[in-house]
Amino acid sequence: MSLHADEHGFHARDRFDWPLFICATLIAVIGIVNLYSATSVAKAALTELYLNQIYWMVAGGILAVAAASIDYRHIERFAYVIYAGGLVMLVLVLVLARDIRGSARWIPIGSFGFQPSEFMKLCLAIALAKYIHDDPHAEGRTLRDLAAPAALAAVPMLLVLKQPDLGTALILGLILVSVLGLSRIQWKSLLTIFVTAIVALPLVWNYGLKDYQRMRVTSFLNPEADIRGAGWHAHHARIAIGNGGFLGQGYMKGTQNQYLFLPDQYSDFPFPVFAEDWGFLGTMVLFGLYGFLILWAIRIASQAKNRFGAVLAVGVGAMIFWQSFFNLGMVSGILPVVGVPLPLFSYGGSSVFTNMIGLGLLMNISMRRYSYAGADSRLLRL
Amino acid sequence: MSVLVSRSDMGEFRRRPRWLAVVVVFAFLALTARVFYMQIVNGDEYRALARENIIRRVTLATTRGVVRDSLGRVLASNRPSYNVYCVPSKLDMNSVWPRLAGYMQLNAQERERIQKRILDLKSDSGPRKDWQILVKEDVSRDLVATLETHAAELPSVDVVPAPVRYYPHAELGAHVLGYMSEVDSDALVRLRALGYMEGDRRGAGGVERGWESYLRGTRGWEKVVVDSRGRRHVDPASMALIDDPKRLDPIPGRDLRLTIDFDIQKAIHTAMRSALAGATVVVDVRTGRILGMISKPSYDPNELSGGNGVQALKSAYRRLLSDPLQPSLDKTMSGAYPPGSTYKPFTALAALRENLIDTRKQFDCRGYYQFGKRMFKCTHVHGPVALEQAITRSCNVYFYQLGEAIGLDRLARTGLDFGFGQKTGLGTNVESQGRMPTRAWYSQHYKGQFRVGFTLNAAIGQGATTVTALQLALSYAALANGGVLYEPQLVHSVETADGTIVQDLSPRVRRRINLRTEDMALVHRGLWGVVNEEKGTAYNERLADVDAAGKTGTAQVSHQTVGLGADDSRVWYFNRDHAWFASYSPSKSPEIAVIVLIEHGGAGGRVAAPVALQVMRAYHKLKAERAAKKAAAAGSAAPASSRGTP
Repeated sequence: MSLHADEHGFHARDRFDWPLFICATLIAVIGIVNLYSATSVAKAALTELYLNQIYWMVAGGILAVAAASIDYRHIERFAYVIYAGGLVMLVLVLVLARDIRGSARWIPIGSFGFQPSEFMKLCLAIALAKYIHDDPHAEGRTLRDLAAPAALAAVPMLLVLKQPDLGTALILGLILVSVLGLSRIQWKSLLTIFVTAIVALPLVWNYGLKDYQRMRVTSFLNPEADIRGAGWHAHHARIAIGNGGFLGQGYMKGTQNQYLFLPDQYSDFPFPVFAEDWGFLGTMVLFGLYGFLILWAIRIASQAKNRFGAVLAVGVGAMIFWQSFFNLGMVSGILPVVGVPLPLFSYGGSSVFTNMIGLGLLMNISMRRYSYAGADSRLLRL
Repeated sequence: MSVLVSRSDMGEFRRRPRWLAVVVVFAFLALTARVFYMQIVNGDEYRALARENIIRRVTLATTRGVVRDSLGRVLASNRPSYNVYCVPSKLDMNSVWPRLAGYMQLNAQERERIQKRILDLKSDSGPRKDWQILVKEDVSRDLVATLETHAAELPSVDVVPAPVRYYPHAELGAHVLGYMSEVDSDALVRLRALGYMEGDRRGAGGVERGWESYLRGTRGWEKVVVDSRGRRHVDPASMALIDDPKRLDPIPGRDLRLTIDFDIQKAIHTAMRSALAGATVVVDVRTGRILGMISKPSYDPNELSGGNGVQALKSAYRRLLSDPLQPSLDKTMSGAYPPGSTYKPFTALAALRENLIDTRKQFDCRGYYQFGKRMFKCTHVHGPVALEQAITRSCNVYFYQLGEAIGLDRLARTGLDFGFGQKTGLGTNVESQGRMPTRAWYSQHYKGQFRVGFTLNAAIGQGATTVTALQLALSYAALANGGVLYEPQLVHSVETADGTIVQDLSPRVRRRINLRTEDMALVHRGLWGVVNEEKGTAYNERLADVDAAGKTGTAQVSHQTVGLGADDSRVWYFNRDHAWFASYSPSKSPEIAVIVLIEHGGAGGRVAAPVALQVMRAYHKLKAERAAKKAAAAGSAAPASSRGTP
């Protein structure tokens, strides 16, 4: 039978998810426009970045189309292979990567760097979806049932922490938590996890974190103590956001950005540039788009035709949500500074590709939501 | 296919997506609340912070006022100067340093020295490697232009303007002008309220010190747009960000026109060329204005003001403080010396005012004066002398008996009337007040019984009496003008940079001394005789074309076996007497008083008098020349005038 037609004879393309497509496209376009503002006054080497980003977007779009076209049951079949491939790449990073600013995250390919940890987010979402799909527990999961998915997340997290890349490890962990949030866990197990986490926190603080990571947390908790040092980025990012006011300073007129007070304005700090240029009004539009995109992903999950699709949609949605939330929260000062990119806003091929493929997967799941319509799927209606 | 459906047991996920959605909504509500708080509630504060980041107030330097002499010739002005700095930690030794060294045309030795310094600092673990260091100071204008042209390829290299005070005549008259010195951190605590900042220089001596508040001017400021790297942005869009007020113009310091006549200064300098150390003061007896004032040895104020570089500054200070001839001491007003016989006219006036002598009565000088068991010596055996000859021939014996008759306190009263024992208040250099001893003074400062011998010594200007050359100049001016004691005046007028007179300072009388004309005439005759009578102590030094009256003085120095930092071979010099000549000219209707002190010069008549007489000659010559020039100018300016042409 055809993979592209359901039992009613509809082709998947007839179910094209326009809201998802339009919302994602708007964010991507605004992201590029903002990147242009962010890099317009920086060193000459950076002013071409927005062009690169367009190339990444176009290439990422092709990947997204590919990700949307293949029936995700095939992806399910090769889920662990994909996951294993991601792990191999992460091991390769530790062997091959160049050290850039104290952290080795990139595998050099030509003049570009390839960042496997970005792709690992998707790989993990796929592997978790596969595992949950194969292991239903309608009555709720016990601690023992959680061991395997926890291990699936823990291995890449440890590899990423070794680079070290706290931000990505955090996102990987949060993808796990979100996916488990979709499935049912016994109350007793949940309580045990909480208690363990509270006990583990001081241990992680003392032995698990690097000095610079600890510094970021302390400078978050006491931002005025170290404006020149670790708190410098956060301090000027906050000023930029506040400087936006209601209507913003105008496109390419934000002074914090134009006079170079925002370091990493193209990678981790694009939002302050946007908020300064466009103000509260623009920020609300952007928040609306991100919020809509993530809620739409949850809707796709709730309408998915099977467990794999539902969990994968939540995994991808969680990836976009936690990255957005941590990035926006960090730059606006309600979360400590951890290097997490803003999906479709931050410059970077690996990040763009990952998010584009993720969106393609969402499209994939969405387009096939009625393919095997049965009584089960209706239970998930919001 | 049916297998797939049966495995899709979605029951586990029931209602869960709704909870996930709630989490997402709350997260975005939290972000929205945060952004609302930052952009709307606290927007103004953040905007102010953003403005603070980019708008910087830079101070605009002001220019120090120019000091000119009475005829408008520049004595102290400002010279632009540029220093080259670099930051060791940021300097690329492979590309930038060779380029910089090349542009600066450093010789191998300089290059080696600076390179070593930079490399040492580069390896420094502390913050010092990030501090600017001086590569070269006071570089040429051409080099400044070159470095500015190539600024883009010389990151971390800075050219910093540092205007320096410039004294075109260097050490000639340095003590009158003073010099500039950087404010130290202790003084800065006090001076910050007056607007001084780190690295500022201020007047340290002379007119520079006394008139600092007039000369220094007021800083301005200007708002500029800078980015996080401190680079200035001057494009129109950036300039539009600057809010009002944008700028406060600096106010340049006031210019000063001194009463000093630089030609007189040169004349004094020339006349004193053979003297190692000493002082000369020339005062206009009709106004109290100081026309010339020289202290020897002198120093180069350019070096002390940093104009010749830090090395020169350091060595200049070292020399200044180690020189036994004390070039740092202004010997016209900071040093007090026994006046010796130059004081005798005042002793005479004290006696005359008290009606204690018969001016015609002669007193027999046998070369000494017996008082009790002590013998007080005279310079010669003068034989019988009356007051006038006693002044002319400087007979100590005559003045001993006069002193005995007057008593110490009455002697002091006249001295105080003439301004001795008190500061003149010129206010430029630290001023000594000298000493006019009284019986009260002796009872405070002398352990033993008061002795009449003190009075006898005071009568001839020895003992505890000390005066400054400036005090003596003003008191001789008062002698010459019939008893008007002026306040000394050094600044003629205060002017703006474009020459407008802001403040014209007129002479100020300090005191009119109550003197009888016939008493004055008698003293005048005596002083005239010193130069013009065969037995006068300065007769041998008289100049045919100079009409002068004056008094020689040879002030005894308390003998020392170890000199003031001098080695033993020089002790003879420091034990020699100080030579004085206090005088005025012309002898009838006097115009100037000239006081000359030659430290350790020996006899006053022989050593000091020629200096004073040469200065007087120069004064009269200049006066005649200027009058002729003026007449010529007036003649050519009004050729149409019919008067005078028959």
